[in-house]
Amino acid sequence: MTHSLHRTGKINDLKSDYIILAMLAAGINDKYPDAKQKLLRVAEILNQNNPVNIIPKPAWKISPVITATFIDIEMVKNVIQTLKQEDLGVSIVISGLISEIQEAVKETGLKMHTIHLSLGTFGRKGLLPSEEILEITTMCGHHCISPQSVKYYVELIKSGKISVENAAKKLLKPCVCGIFNPTRAITLLNKLSGIFS
Amino acid sequence: MEIKADLCIGCGQCVIICPVQAIKLIDNIAVIDKNLCVECSICKRNADCPVNAIRSRRLKWPRVIRSPFSDVISTHRLTGIPGRGTEEMKTNDVTNRFGVDEIGFSIEIGRPGVGTHLGNIELFTTKLTSIGVNFERESPVSALLIDDSGHIKKDIKEERVLSAIIEFKVPLNKAILVLQAIKQIEKNIDTVFTVGVISQVMKDGAIPILDLLTQQEFSVRPNAKVNIGLGKV
Repeated sequence: MTHSLHRTGKINDLKSDYIILAMLAAGINDKYPDAKQKLLRVAEILNQNNPVNIIPKPAWKISPVITATFIDIEMVKNVIQTLKQEDLGVSIVISGLISEIQEAVKETGLKMHTIHLSLGTFGRKGLLPSEEILEITTMCGHHCISPQSVKYYVELIKSGKISVENAAKKLLKPCVCGIFNPTRAITLLNKLSGIFS
Repeated sequence: MEIKADLCIGCGQCVIICPVQAIKLIDNIAVIDKNLCVECSICKRNADCPVNAIRSRRLKWPRVIRSPFSDVISTHRLTGIPGRGTEEMKTNDVTNRFGVDEIGFSIEIGRPGVGTHLGNIELFTTKLTSIGVNFERESPVSALLIDDSGHIKKDIKEERVLSAIIEFKVPLNKAILVLQAIKQIEKNIDTVFTVGVISQVMKDGAIPILDLLTQQEFSVRPNAKVNIGLGKV
């Protein structure tokens, strides 16, 4: 999957949206006897640094990837620093603003190894929902969140039938990878429902 | 998927949650448009149907191909790989799948959220084959190719999926041909697609493909995925 690559949004919104993914290479370093333990250790480190979302704990032992979402680049730096110190040998990919990641990596004495750039969306863009809705739906890497569910919950928020926080939780449910950012969703839902325009 | 009409109470929860808008209420009963349904199972898992009316069906060929390209927890029977893509650059610090003089591409047809019929894959793969790209062997899409010209099986072309990712790499000096092909195909396709470009970062921080992207008038998003080089063999 291209998981978090094509998240949309303005730079200010993206400043509070970072995903860290950990993975071992199939047939190479995932075959070592301690491979699973190393991946579990990464999951613990991610969990200790206040993620706003993380792949569900029961999946830690069976998933080939561990993912977590952060809203603060300082927490991302803490994670990188700890991973560097522990030298687990697990591949780490950070998604977010290139400029912020570049700075975070530099501060921790590392360098970017490989980058996956997004050139955006092409083709029949008239089929897409509004940019504001896409900012929410593209936070699920497999695009499991429907545009009409965003509209539905915005209407419920407007009519006072659900809180913004609960609406964000409901929207998050189909996304099983732990990369949907509920805190950013709350901000975006507030804007969409006119609470903060 | 199917919805048991005799059980459905018309609450509409499945209508709201379907990512491709394949479910509609007709006479207060939820009905799935079988052509539009991509077999993602999101309705069954997440609609909280109060009467348990949403059921999985045992899918036959070729419809069964929809599920692994749409259901996030489904594994590709063709490849044994869960999800729609591969490790691509995520483990490049260990695999060196993309060398310093190579550029990787990930073209995801149907994303974000529009969906596609699998026939659209051929628009790209036939053109890319003529350019001489190296398709990622582990990719589920590569497993669909039946010849060296980039064709896929005829009987799956009409099958709709949430998205399909074409992954490949080319030497840096051929990347311009891929970028030109993307612009041509964009005019003829009936859905949307996203494009990702993979490059190693040079020791001085330079990203070799950036100049070419600018020359070819492609915009690069400010956010990206970055492998920070902590992986070890």
